[in-house]
Amino acid sequence: MSASPMFNPTDLIRFLPEIILTAMGTSMMVLDPLLNRRESKIYGTLSVATLAAAIVAAICAYSQPGPAFGGMIVVDGFATFFRVLVFGVGILTILPSFSFLKRQQAETSEFHALLLFSIAGQSIMAAANDLIVIFIGLEISSIASYILAGYLRDDKRANEAALKYFLLGSFATGFFLYGVALIYGETGSINLSVVHSVVVGPDAPSAVMVGLAAALMFVGLAFKVSASPFQIWAPDVYQGAPTPVTAFLSAGPKAAAFAIFLRIFMTAFAPIGEAWAPLVWISALLSMTIGNFAALLQNNVKRMLAYSSIGHAGYVMVALAARSEIGTAAVMFYLAAYACMNVGAFAVVSHLSGKDERYQSVEDFAGLAQKQPFVAAMLSIFLFSLIGVPLTGGFFGKFYIFKAALESHLVWLTVLGLLNSAVAAYYYLRILVMMYFRDPGDAALSAEPLTPALSAALILPAIGTLFLGIFPGWVLDFAGRSASLVK
Amino acid sequence: MQLWLIPILPLAGFLINGLFGRRFSKGLVNTFAIGSVVLAFLWVLRTLFGLGGIEATYTEHYFTWIQSGALTVGCDFSVDRLTAVMLLVVTGIGSLIHIYAIGYMAHEGGYYRFFAYLNLFMFFMLTLVLAANYLVLFVGWEGVGLCSYLLIGFYFDKKYATDAGNKAFIVNRIGDFGFSLAMFLIFRQFGSLDFAHVFAQAPAAPVGLLTLIGVLLMFGACGKSAQIPLYVWLPDAMAGPTPVSALIHAATMVTAGVYMTARSWVIYTHAPIAMDVIAYIGIATAFVAATIGLAQNDIKKVFAYSTVSQLGYMFVGVGCGAFSAGIYHLMTHAFFKALLFLGAGAVIHSLSGEQDMRRMGGLRTKIPWTFGVMLCASLAIAGFPFTSGFFSKDAILLAADHRAPWLYWVGVFTAGMTAFYVFRAFFMTFFGKYRGQEHPHESPPVMLVPLVILAALSLVGGKLFNVPDFLRTVFPAVEVPDEFVPMAVASAAGLLGIALAYLMYVYRPGIPDSIANGAKGLYTLVYNKYFVDEIYDAAVVQPVVNGSRVVLWNGADVGLIDGIVNGIGARAKGIGGVLRLAQSGNTRSYATWVAFGGVLLIFGMAAMVVLGGLR
Amino acid sequence: MNLLLLVLLLPAAGFLIALALPRSSPASSRYWALGISLATFLASLALLGWFDRTLAGDQLTVDWLWISSPEIRFHIAADGVSFWLVLLSTFLTPICVLISWDHIQNRVKEFYAFLLLLEFGLVGVFLAQDLFLFYVFWEVSLVPMYFLIGIWGHERRIYAAVKFFLYTMAGSVLMLAAIIYLYNRAGTFGYAAILDQLASGRLLFTPFEQMLLFLAFFVAFAIKVPLFPLHTWLPDAHVEAPTAGSVMLASVMLKMGTFGILHYALPLFPSAARRCAPWIAVLALIGIIYGALVAMVQPNMKKLVAYSSVSHLGFVVLGIFSFTQLGLDGAVYQMLNHGVSTGALFALVGLMYERRHSLAIEDYGGVATAAPWLSTAFLITTLASIGLPLLNNFVGEFLVLQGAALANFTWAVWAALGVILSACYMLWMYQRVFYGELTEKVRSHMPDLNLREWAVVIPLIAMMVWMGVYSKSFLDPVGKTTARVLEQTQVNVSYRVDLRMPQRTEVSRVR
Repeated sequence: MSASPMFNPTDLIRFLPEIILTAMGTSMMVLDPLLNRRESKIYGTLSVATLAAAIVAAICAYSQPGPAFGGMIVVDGFATFFRVLVFGVGILTILPSFSFLKRQQAETSEFHALLLFSIAGQSIMAAANDLIVIFIGLEISSIASYILAGYLRDDKRANEAALKYFLLGSFATGFFLYGVALIYGETGSINLSVVHSVVVGPDAPSAVMVGLAAALMFVGLAFKVSASPFQIWAPDVYQGAPTPVTAFLSAGPKAAAFAIFLRIFMTAFAPIGEAWAPLVWISALLSMTIGNFAALLQNNVKRMLAYSSIGHAGYVMVALAARSEIGTAAVMFYLAAYACMNVGAFAVVSHLSGKDERYQSVEDFAGLAQKQPFVAAMLSIFLFSLIGVPLTGGFFGKFYIFKAALESHLVWLTVLGLLNSAVAAYYYLRILVMMYFRDPGDAALSAEPLTPALSAALILPAIGTLFLGIFPGWVLDFAGRSASLVK
Repeated sequence: MQLWLIPILPLAGFLINGLFGRRFSKGLVNTFAIGSVVLAFLWVLRTLFGLGGIEATYTEHYFTWIQSGALTVGCDFSVDRLTAVMLLVVTGIGSLIHIYAIGYMAHEGGYYRFFAYLNLFMFFMLTLVLAANYLVLFVGWEGVGLCSYLLIGFYFDKKYATDAGNKAFIVNRIGDFGFSLAMFLIFRQFGSLDFAHVFAQAPAAPVGLLTLIGVLLMFGACGKSAQIPLYVWLPDAMAGPTPVSALIHAATMVTAGVYMTARSWVIYTHAPIAMDVIAYIGIATAFVAATIGLAQNDIKKVFAYSTVSQLGYMFVGVGCGAFSAGIYHLMTHAFFKALLFLGAGAVIHSLSGEQDMRRMGGLRTKIPWTFGVMLCASLAIAGFPFTSGFFSKDAILLAADHRAPWLYWVGVFTAGMTAFYVFRAFFMTFFGKYRGQEHPHESPPVMLVPLVILAALSLVGGKLFNVPDFLRTVFPAVEVPDEFVPMAVASAAGLLGIALAYLMYVYRPGIPDSIANGAKGLYTLVYNKYFVDEIYDAAVVQPVVNGSRVVLWNGADVGLIDGIVNGIGARAKGIGGVLRLAQSGNTRSYATWVAFGGVLLIFGMAAMVVLGGLR
Repeated sequence: MNLLLLVLLLPAAGFLIALALPRSSPASSRYWALGISLATFLASLALLGWFDRTLAGDQLTVDWLWISSPEIRFHIAADGVSFWLVLLSTFLTPICVLISWDHIQNRVKEFYAFLLLLEFGLVGVFLAQDLFLFYVFWEVSLVPMYFLIGIWGHERRIYAAVKFFLYTMAGSVLMLAAIIYLYNRAGTFGYAAILDQLASGRLLFTPFEQMLLFLAFFVAFAIKVPLFPLHTWLPDAHVEAPTAGSVMLASVMLKMGTFGILHYALPLFPSAARRCAPWIAVLALIGIIYGALVAMVQPNMKKLVAYSSVSHLGFVVLGIFSFTQLGLDGAVYQMLNHGVSTGALFALVGLMYERRHSLAIEDYGGVATAAPWLSTAFLITTLASIGLPLLNNFVGEFLVLQGAALANFTWAVWAALGVILSACYMLWMYQRVFYGELTEKVRSHMPDLNLREWAVVIPLIAMMVWMGVYSKSFLDPVGKTTARVLEQTQVNVSYRVDLRMPQRTEVSRVR
């Protein structure tokens, strides 16, 4: 392949979103001392605007698809899809954070700056076509989110969560880096396309070595997507982190991590698919089972959603195990749907949790339907989507995943997965029961009125969920068209 | 011929009275109730005259009721001579009893309701009689059961009444179990339920199947016509107003079983075993019921058991192939048993509700008319020569004799008992000196007129309507030689019974008690109806109810199945709990987990690759 | 504008608008729900005119592309069976609105909104001609019922609602797996298309495959029916649900299961169905007798009626798996009958609950004296449900039993026992509730029917009589469709079809 040495303007366009985000993030840091606290809410507005701009930029970039910077990053449908997705997640994270930060008197610029950096990292991951770039993106994203997890300085749980997340995270990233090194050693390249062609080529390295590298990277990535057996950190971190951050962690980094997961395993390691598929199979089953069953007993909603997100990671792994373009498309669709419903659900949690997140238990949702019927209705949409009731995105997501799995003859995984989703229904229903069937508790009574930003933060994902549930065709078509990664 | 008018008229009466009767005056209610039935009677007459000799069966098709696959059930009515007899009995006696009821019910609450039910009964009974296929017959069959349920429970604030009603309905349902199974077999075999079609093919059908069908049908008949083992509901049915006992539980409905078996004669003639079963059950019932009748003190109970016993006779007749004799007795029994009940009703009415014969006596001077008609009725049922009962009973006994002498002798003995207990009741009521407190008063004419008409029928009805002759074209001829001896013996037994009753209850009133004390065990056994009800209750009802409650509901449903269901839930949570243990919260242990997982994964992957390589 | 589409979409539109209605005026919601449900009913009545009773196949088809890949079509149509079930749903919804009129006082708006959503889901289930669409409606109908039970139910409503949801969910996920599997094999969700492939032999399943698929479908349906021993959600759901919920649940929702068996499980997997028939028939028989016996000892009216439903639905399943024309016709007719008579029973029990605020039988007695017309209505309904001739259930029960007798006489014998028992438990309850001395408590709480309640009772009773006396007007189209189903269950059946059956029907044609 030819890495053109000279500077190429279209490269900039293809890299525009990351540029915007980083620029804006940095300038916010700088801006902070110049502004007084009263105007601090403009950061939020600014970053929303930035992300909107980034989305536009991403679409512009897609108008000229192709590799940039000598094939280190590649702008294709796949990349664009995930870029837009993580940017969207960013917006949906910031909107509810307004009232949250206000409540905590923590409206500083670094929150938003960090968020933007992290998103920029994820955007890089989405577009990266080169193991080193992937690693860089991964780190940018991760380090920012480590700090975000501990953003509330004087909150003990948050700090503990941040520390855990940081230690274990870097531990796992270590595995990943080993994998990269090993591959480079074996194939003499870090460009995924090249690696792929070498592995399939005549003088291929020993499969065991490639497999070893794959395994090492698997560990790193499985950790990021909180797939079993590396899910262990998720509950503590999700529970400890400030709710908006949790929402962000559960959707953004996860999506980006799955993006590179696909990118790497469907290109570079596609040839040894028979080898890693069974491991994904096991990991999928474990994640679904552990996530859903452990969630049955959780009384803290954030922790429950943490486990549920482990379960959902399991569903996505099922599609991964299918090792087909349909599977890839299913992953993309599912992550989009999942982002909508999960971020939406967390938005409600952060709305209801009150000062210092007093109200996090399931009981605190009692009677919400009577006090704030609109919020309850939105949350029920998200929950039904998480259960997988038809006419919601969650249902079609599951449907496509298991369809892909069956097409790859993963019958048992499908059956077990579907039974899992039946089990999962129970703990989501508990929240619904609370909201609709019980009389209001003090959480519902003391809930603040909806701010415009918050209602936007509820309506947008709700619309997304229903749209994906009623007209899934549009998104799925795009996903299907951009699902072939082997160039 | 517009046969449909016959049942529809009473139905109209029912609807009008049922819907608006509450606002009507008694007079208006009567007009619709009696009017509709009398009109039906007249229409029957007109139809029969219109049809002339009725040599062949005359059928009318109205609409298709049920159509599915090979099954087509039409709403068809048909008339042949058998039907003609039944029609006349039902509408004729029905009209009389309706008229009687005007007087009897005058002071009762729910007047309109009573007549509405009575009309509804007429509708179903006539449907039953007119039916041209088994299913329509079944409609009437169930319908009369319903009306009997409603009328037995007419005083629905009295528990014993509603209990009796339920008992009647459910016991009949048990009978219908047999009936419906028989229908299924019939359709399965003949592909139709129309009488014409079935009977045309029956001779060709396998005997075993016909026997099964016959027995099942008879089981249904046992329910309706109160034969062993299902007779238990009829005595309790006396909880209803007396006209009901007369119309439904003596004259018409309870004879439906006899009618149905006679109607299915083709099947029976080709299933001799089934016939025997009928005859044996009939004779057993006749005998047992008669023995119970000996010891009852409630006047209606006496006649109730006598009804059971007389129905037994009819079954004997049918079972011996003397179908016409059975129908013959059905008719005459309708006359005198209706009269007995109505007379008893008149007595009860005159004593304002007293039913215990021990508090009666010496009424012949106080209510002479009632006395007179009751005498006619009693003579008739006792088979006093040349009364209606005499002819019909003899016809049956002769057939029995022809079939098997022992049947005949049991029949004769039963006849003697019948005569005895009927006259026992008669004497206890009308002779001796009055033992009650009430002031007896003669019934109003509206009650007496029907009584007198029935009395006349009981006396001469047998000679007047020679049913066997009339039905010769319907049933196969049974050549029963008109022997004098058996006839004489039978009537002699009757006279003996009367004489004995006179001796024990008029001439030497002390004897009964001494006998009762003499054979104490036997007496209590009979007096308590052989404890059959108690046995059924202990052997069937209680086990079923308690079993359902304890074993099925609390045991299987709540305990086992729901236990498993909820158990699954608990298991799931248990698993969740175990999985949660991994969550120690301690970072170092987490790191260990990750490392451990990583190592596992690496080895797993290596293994896979190697295996892949080997493959 | 296709009338069928109108019938389907009116409730949906009604639901959306009902959400928009002001919470402040409950009356507006009531009248809106009544209006829209009546309009739907009228529209479905108009279907009677458009519906061609001589056709066996689907009619009034609407077929739009919904999702391009995988191709999922918004494809609805009616046949002789679904047509009546749709009519049943649209007929009962206004009645449910009326019985809830005074009974439902809190969160009125949501209540009627959910009721309309429920109607939408149910109608959709019966009309869907695309397996995927069918599943969608199947699940959608689950949600409103969950809320109806959970919000407006009685004491243990939450347990009942969750139990109901999970039970059904557990069954339907397996069905989803089977549906997807079918798609991967057939390449389409189109029901008719799949049947064609089966008929032409282009799509063939190994016996094992077919058995698994059949069971996956059947279990989902059997839970809804509910077939013994999967019935334990029913008593709870029924007892705890508000009156309207019980009515819709018993009358229509249970039919989703039997309809599914008849319309999907049999034609799609004929040989597996035939192979399982004996076992399923036995379960049905157990259900018939077991349900009746347990009903007999219930101290609670609603629970009694609930268990009686288990018994009645047993007849339906038995009829279906007799694989005879009569059995199938009877089963379908029994679905409709049960819808009308049991619906009426629940409605009447609800009316009594509104008066006396108790479901316990021993709290009543002598009602017949206090409220004669209410008692009369209840009596007629009781008689209908115990299968008295000239009332609706008799025809269905007779056909089912006759069909069973043709298939296997022993089945008929056992099933007929259920008929006896039904008389026992219903009459016993009737006696304890309506007869006997009138206590003061009852007298003071038992006004007779008012105008609104008459409007509920009259149509139901009218239907009972009509369906009992002139079944022809219903059975004709049903027969056409069931005949087609029977035929479909004979195409490429690897399993040896019992050859005695045709001969027997030969015999029976001789007339």
